[in-house]
Formats: sequence, structure tokens, C-alpha cells
Amino acid sequence: MKQTGAYFLAQLKRAARLLPGQILADFAVCACAGALAFLLIAQGASAAEGTRYRIGMVGDLSDSYLGFGIAAVQEMDDSRFMIELLPMSEQEAEAAFARGELYAVMRVPEGLMESIVYGENDKFVTYTAAQGQQGLGTMVMGEITDVASTLVTCSQSAIYAMQRTLADQGRGEEIGWETDKLNLALIQMVLSRGGFSEVEVLGYGDGLSLELYYFCGMILLFLLLSGLLNSALFVRGGGAFSCFLKARGVGALRQVLGEYFAYLLLVMAGLFVLCLPLTFGLERELVGIPEWEGMGAAPFLAFLPVLFPVTAMFAALQLFLFEAADGIVNGILLQLICGIGMGYLSGFFYPSAFFPEKMRAFGELLPSGAAQRFAQAGALGKIPAAAWMTVFAWLAVFLALTALVRRNRMR
Amino acid sequence: MVGQMFVRFILLQKRLLKKGGFLLMLCLAPLLSAGVGRLSAEPAGIAVIALYLPEGDEASQEISERLLDGGGVLRYLPCGDGEKARALVDTGEADAAWIFPEDLSKRLEELGNKRRVRPVVTVVERRDSVPLILGREILASAIYPFFSYRVYEGYVRGELGLSEMTDEELRRVYDSVAVEGSLFQMVYPDKTPGEAEDFTYVQAPLRGILAIWLTFVGLSAALWFMRDEERGVYGRLPVTKHLSVSYISGAAYLLDAAVVLLLSCKLAGVFTDWKKEVVCCAVFAACVLAFANLLRMLCRTPRGLSMTFLPLLAAMLALCPVFVNLQYFRAGKLLLPPWYYLQSIHNARYLYEMAAYTAIMVLLSALLQRLQSNRR
Repeated sequence: MKQTGAYFLAQLKRAARLLPGQILADFAVCACAGALAFLLIAQGASAAEGTRYRIGMVGDLSDSYLGFGIAAVQEMDDSRFMIELLPMSEQEAEAAFARGELYAVMRVPEGLMESIVYGENDKFVTYTAAQGQQGLGTMVMGEITDVASTLVTCSQSAIYAMQRTLADQGRGEEIGWETDKLNLALIQMVLSRGGFSEVEVLGYGDGLSLELYYFCGMILLFLLLSGLLNSALFVRGGGAFSCFLKARGVGALRQVLGEYFAYLLLVMAGLFVLCLPLTFGLERELVGIPEWEGMGAAPFLAFLPVLFPVTAMFAALQLFLFEAADGIVNGILLQLICGIGMGYLSGFFYPSAFFPEKMRAFGELLPSGAAQRFAQAGALGKIPAAAWMTVFAWLAVFLALTALVRRNRMR
Repeated sequence: MVGQMFVRFILLQKRLLKKGGFLLMLCLAPLLSAGVGRLSAEPAGIAVIALYLPEGDEASQEISERLLDGGGVLRYLPCGDGEKARALVDTGEADAAWIFPEDLSKRLEELGNKRRVRPVVTVVERRDSVPLILGREILASAIYPFFSYRVYEGYVRGELGLSEMTDEELRRVYDSVAVEGSLFQMVYPDKTPGEAEDFTYVQAPLRGILAIWLTFVGLSAALWFMRDEERGVYGRLPVTKHLSVSYISGAAYLLDAAVVLLLSCKLAGVFTDWKKEVVCCAVFAACVLAFANLLRMLCRTPRGLSMTFLPLLAAMLALCPVFVNLQYFRAGKLLLPPWYYLQSIHNARYLYEMAAYTAIMVLLSALLQRLQSNRR
């Protein structure tokens, strides 16, 4: 036992040597995250003022109907809260697109309005999104354009049908006047289409707000990937030293426990470093969590102990991955792919509700899923026994597996 | 010279492929891609909508077909009654409920005749959000076709005074001129139509994840080289040759990883065409090699290099279009190889920029190598 204690102290000293570098790297991560959060908040504020996605409009914009349409979208339509249309020249759009100032560029082909007026609809407004390949943003944009298409084509159909009816009745001279009247009525109805629904908001219920969900998710992601920072601790010179320790009475499990507790303290230190800017942000109301609004950092400080069991589980997972990978280089890559993969499947990046049922169920089975449920339950103030058991079961499994791998290596 | 480099490369490959941990790490990427690719075939949506539409109603039937058969980014849960739909929202199983009235057709007909928009659907939400705002747009566009037809019907009978026209006659005229199809088409900068690629938003981040993974393979290779240097593996080589040897050692790692990246993209369902993918991947691998080696030379020690990993990962996740596409920090984006790669798939301009960026980093590395060897 005494030797195990001595081994733990030796490991603790190794871990302590890494601490200054780790604190610096933690602050670098916090600075990156802080700057991004600040910009996102600024983006959110500009969205509230009516500009969210800047879309460059190029091509044949000379038609007065089209000009009216763009003005209507900018001034009256509900979509003005989501997008800002900016008529510009092709060159200006190319330059702004390359500078990353535009979310997308819409190209209006020559003769588009004639094509619509005559019901041919054989010309397309093409849009190019700034994102590399299709992503969630472009898919949402696809939905918006589908909505716009439906509104335009159905209005067209109503107008053409009215025109055909008048022509069939031999009242061709009235077509122009009646078309303008019906057109105006339809435009008015399209602009007030939001009025088809009456919205009733129930409040949060028993779930988490998206802000608190992501707040938990980002802390968990940081903890899950913190193994990347501490990789230098796992540089070992083969199994000779482990065999030597075993000969001195420190078996595989004791070695693993000695290393684990020292490593856990290092990860905990990283967690505390992360908590400093978060506490500051919450105290100064720079970080807005609806559930904790007006309460400063007190709810977060009360929530902090909830993260300890999760930190202990992730530290055991990282120890196991470094042990199983046989070498620091493979260990880092395993940490990365497991961390990002698990984080993605368990909903650290997108809410897990976005995923198909089976994928969500699989994500919940993973250690990251167990951690997510534990932390979310902790944020709501009621952690069920099953969540505790799952976290500790994973912790025990990882420690046992690490000891098993170590024992095999010593043989 | 070239022969020697090739022999060294083959020996390094042999050494790598003997390592179980390396093979395990290589296998995990295609496993994740194949798994996500397979699971993403199931229905999914950015918001779950509990839907109550009365049975036997004409408008309900039409709206239901539009919503349920249209695919899209929302997932619908049809409910037997309005109370059940509301209860699903209450328990958090749905984000919103759309409850339609029993006399939907009649109400839409009345509103169409009067050419007025009034509430016909009760939308129950836990909390308003961007997906639900988009959802209400989709809801309005599902109602609008039925409604606009009633506007036309009412206009012809009311304003034009043709009340004697039967329903069949009005429908026949409408159908003969009805306009269908989309007015918008998504195209990539290389003019490839958006529909040419068929994958969901669940699969979409996989290419980005794999690109970050490949970057870290390069960084790990640099770390591996540093450890070998410390152990004296390259002790017999002159210092001036260390840079070229580090490129060979990194290339051995990255060649395997690049093959795995291509295979994983295929398995994930985000693959485009062979020529484009192979060229982009080759330039990206070269870019990562140059990036990792420059960073290695700047950091000088394995510990220093490994300390940069987490901040780098955070920067890549935030700035590269993997999960979100921020319109800020362009200068920061320009420093990250995955950003060029992700943009280059549909825009050749970024492929050239990536090649130029690689050349700049190789030149900087050579300069640094010279400075460092002069100091020694």
C-alpha cells in the first residue's frame, strides 16, 4: 500500500509539471470560445435588428415587379427577420462572397419575370451557398426557397385561371384590370401568411433551454477531449518499468489506480480553469442562460459538483484509450476520433433530437450519452439513480479494462 | 536519392502497419462513417411536430399529403386528436403541435372567398425557436395551395359575377393552367446542381470530421518524428536533412490516412466523383504535411506541440464549416488546412489557394530549418 502511495505521488509530480502548459492551453481554448461566443451574440443581436443571413442578389434585377418583390421581402415579409437581400453587381458579389461577407449569392436570369408572367417557369433563380458541401444551413435554405416557390406558383395558377376564365367568357378587355386587383389581393395575403396560425407558448416544461443544453454540451466536450492536452503524461518507455513495479509489489490494478488518481486531479484542474471565465461570464451576464437569468453565477457554482462524476468517468476513458492505443501518437488519434465521434452521436454538436431514433438510442448508450443525461439531469436539479449507476458503471469498466490491458502487456 | 527516399518510405510504412493501435485508429474512421451513413437513412428532423389533422376533410387530406410526403427538415408525428398532440408537446416528445380544426375546409373556403388571412391552425410550442419559425413558414406554404384555389374560386364567382360556373368547370380551368415546379435551384460554385448530391444533414458534418481527423494524423506524425529524433533514430543524418526526412515520415502516415478518408467519405455517402475527390484529398494531405511540420518546428518540443492540439481542435471545430458556418474570422480560417479542403470540393479556386498555402508553408519551413541549423 505504501508503495502504491509512493507511486501515486510520483505520478502526481509528473502531472504537476504539465499543469502550467495545460493552464495556458485551457485559457487559449477559453479565449477562442469566448471570442466566438461574443461574435455569435453580436450576430444574434443583428438578427433581432432584422439582418441575419446576407444574401447577394445579382443578374437581371431591372424588372419593376422583381424590385417590388425584393422591397416587399425587405420591408414587410416575415422573412426579413431571417435574411437580408442585397442587390449588387456580379463583381461586387464575387468579391463579397470570397471575403466571406455573404451567406449565399442568388442569380436572377435574364427574362425571369417574363417567364413567370407567361407561366412558362422555365428559368431558375440559382443560389450558391458559401458553405463547401451541403450542410444544415443550405438544407434550411432549400426549405425556404421551396416555401417561396409554392407561394409564387400557387398565386400564378390562381391568376392564370382567372385570366383564362375571363378569356373563355369573351371578356378579354377586363383581364388587365382584374389581374392587377387579384395580384394585389394575393400579395397582401402572401405577406400576411403568418396569420394562418395562432401560437400558444407553453414555456420550458421539464426540458432544458437550447442555451443550457449547449452550455452542458460544450463543457462535456471540453472534458471529453481534454486527453489531447495531457498526452505528454502518457509517454512511456515500454513495459519494463511496469514489470519492475510489479516486482516491487505494485500490481497492474494498483499501478492503474495510482496513475488514474493523479491524472484525475490534472483533469479536475483543467475543469476549474474552464470554470473561471464561465463564472465571470455568468456573473457579468455575458453568458445568457434563460433558466439562470438574473441569478448570477450561483446556479452554475451549485451545478459544478454534478460535473465531478462525469469528469472521473471521462478521465478513466482517456486513460484506457491511451493504454489500449500502445503509444502516444495512436493514443492522441484515438482520443480525437472517439471524442468527436462520441460527442457527435451523443448530441454535443447538434441536439440529439435532430437525429434518427436509432442513432439517438445508440448515442445515449455511449459513455458520452450517459454523461450528457447525467449533466442535464443535474442542471434540472434531479439526478435519477439510474444515471448515477450508468456513470459509475462506465468508470469501473474503463478502470478494469485499463488494468487488464496493463496486465497483458506486462506478461 | 529518390530511390533512398522510397526505401525509407516503404520501411516506415512497414513499421506503421505492424502497429495494432495504428490499425485500430485507421479502422475507427470508416466505422464511424459507415455507422452514421447507415443510421441517417431513418427519418429525422430539426424539430418534431405533433400533427393533428381531422380525417375525411378535403383540405386536411391535401395538407397532410404535402407535409408527410415531402421529406424536408421537420419530422412529423401524426396524432389521433388535438389533446394528444398538445400532450406530446407538454412532455417534451414534440417541439410543437399543429392542431387543425374539424371544419378546416369550410373555414379556408370562407376566408378565401373574403380574401382574408385569419388563424385556422393552433400552434402549440414549448418555446419559440428558429426551427419552429421555419416550421410555421412550411405550415403556411402547405395551407396556401388550398387557400389560393379558394381565393380564385371566390373571385371568379364574386368579383367577376360568374356564380353559375360549377365546381368542375372552375377546377378544369385551374388545372389547365396550373403552374408547378420550383423556381429556385441550388448550385455549387463549380455549377454542380445541389440535387446531384443526395445526403441528409446528419451525414453532412462527416467530411468535416474526417478532415479534422486527417489534420491530426499529420500532427501526430510530426509528434512521432520528434520522438524518433529524441531517441536518436535520425542521429546519423545531417540536421539539414531532417526536414526532408520528416516529410517522408509524415507522408507514410498521411498516405494511409488519405486512403481511409476517401473510403470513409464513400461509406458516409458524401462522396462526389473520384477525380475531384482524389485531387482535393492529395493536395489536402500535402497541405497538412507542410502545416504539421511547420508547427513542429515552431513548437520545438513534443510537449509544446501536444499543448497546441486542443486549442487547434477548438479553432477547427469553430471556424471550419463542419457543424456551423460562421461569417467571421476569415483570417483565422485561412490558416486552417481543413477549411481549404472543405471549400475546395466544389470550388477549384480554393484548391489553388490550398496549393499556394502549402508552398508558402514549405518555404517557411525551409527558412526556419536553415535558421535553426545555423544556430546549432
